[in-house]
Amino acid sequence: MADHLDAPSLVSPDKAPVDITDIYAFQKPGDPTKSILIMNVNPFATAPAFSADSLYELKVDTNGDALADVAFRIKFSPFEGGSQTADVRLASGSAATGRENTGTLIFDDAPVSFGSTATVTDSDSFRFFAGIRSDPFFFDLLGFLGGLVFTGDDFFKDKDVFGIALEVPNTELGPNPNVGIWGRVLESEQIDRMGRPAINTVFMSGKDKDKFNRSEPNEDVARFTDDVVAVLTSFGYSVTEAAGIAAILLPDVLTYDYSSSAGFLNGRNLTDDVIDIELAIVTNGTVTTDGVSPHKDLRKVFPYMGRPHK
Amino acid sequence: MEDINRREFLKRMGSGSGAVLGGILVPTTGLLSWSGKGVFTFRAVTGLPQDKLPSYASYVIEGSVNLTTRSGIITKTVYAGPPEAMSTIALPGLSRIVRVTEVRDSDGRLYIRGLIDDRSLLRAGETEDINIKIDPSTGVAQASFLGSKVTLGIET
Repeated sequence: MADHLDAPSLVSPDKAPVDITDIYAFQKPGDPTKSILIMNVNPFATAPAFSADSLYELKVDTNGDALADVAFRIKFSPFEGGSQTADVRLASGSAATGRENTGTLIFDDAPVSFGSTATVTDSDSFRFFAGIRSDPFFFDLLGFLGGLVFTGDDFFKDKDVFGIALEVPNTELGPNPNVGIWGRVLESEQIDRMGRPAINTVFMSGKDKDKFNRSEPNEDVARFTDDVVAVLTSFGYSVTEAAGIAAILLPDVLTYDYSSSAGFLNGRNLTDDVIDIELAIVTNGTVTTDGVSPHKDLRKVFPYMGRPHK
Repeated sequence: MEDINRREFLKRMGSGSGAVLGGILVPTTGLLSWSGKGVFTFRAVTGLPQDKLPSYASYVIEGSVNLTTRSGIITKTVYAGPPEAMSTIALPGLSRIVRVTEVRDSDGRLYIRGLIDDRSLLRAGETEDINIKIDPSTGVAQASFLGSKVTLGIET
């Protein structure tokens, strides 16, 4: 539940393809000149394919204003005869903030993988994958639902998702290595977005979850600081302390220094125990672990996520 | 087990009126759905987690219990979304069928015990024994979720 099924408008089977589960950004293992950006959707692989009516985006803020300066846009073809393809565009500057599928075409009709073999497509210095994979997220969800009483039971150990992975040269992420990453999905309007794990899930209530998903990161501080402070103060933080933490957590972008291979809070590796880190923060140190470890099925090569269980 | 005091229990079910059927007072309105001959149906819901954090999922306990035969079937399901926006997506691996083994009425409250027969489904911290207390006067049910006590609202 980093962001799986995080808002009322997403918790129906027909919305699974547009429900972002996790975002990852990390330096390519063995090559510090490139980065890996991953957006996973479709919790539990409920839907058979990506949505052809939606636009999937990985956004990059290069100057710290929580607005996109670079956007990778992925558009899928209709799912027909058990197959699907993807076009990927790269937009920069003012074009990156818009909602149209504009930008330079960097992948054309790249195949989507529906089996255990990951079909990877190369284009110049870019690499792309889309398809079903083992969900790399690890968490004792039941312990969370039971009131933070954890037993180390990894609810996601046998779950699948649909992953979108890009290998990109760092030069495409701007000259300043300190960037912000988030993903979003657009239907007729923006329906989901995510930067760091579990921000919407943990801090927003009721209809605010949909408002959060439909807003832009540059609106977060003004619109959602009170929600974050309310949860944090319930765990014993003073209002001042809570506001200080909220200022770190918002805007909801995954801060990433592409010159560093360090993990979360610098970007997010597939093996980073983000839940343990966030549990300690949210509960004021009362709970420091859910007792769950990273999955063992991760691959050493692109797209790094394990083979699907199905 | 003490005798089931159906009359006392049914009086407290929130019913404003009732009818006598086979010696049993049957409520015509109230929190629980009465189908006659000692069988009633209920549905209780709460958001999880409880306290402090916003609800992420909905815990639903529902089923039918026969006060006469002291038997019945109850299901436990965890749906994605909080109660106010509950989805039809049941979180995989968390649905349970409970076979009622005992029904007791005391002080207007209904105490139900049951068993999850398929123990292969049990997760860490989960037991096959199920205890549910239904209090019609307050409209709440008490049960457990993986060993933690939870309070559920009885839906009308």
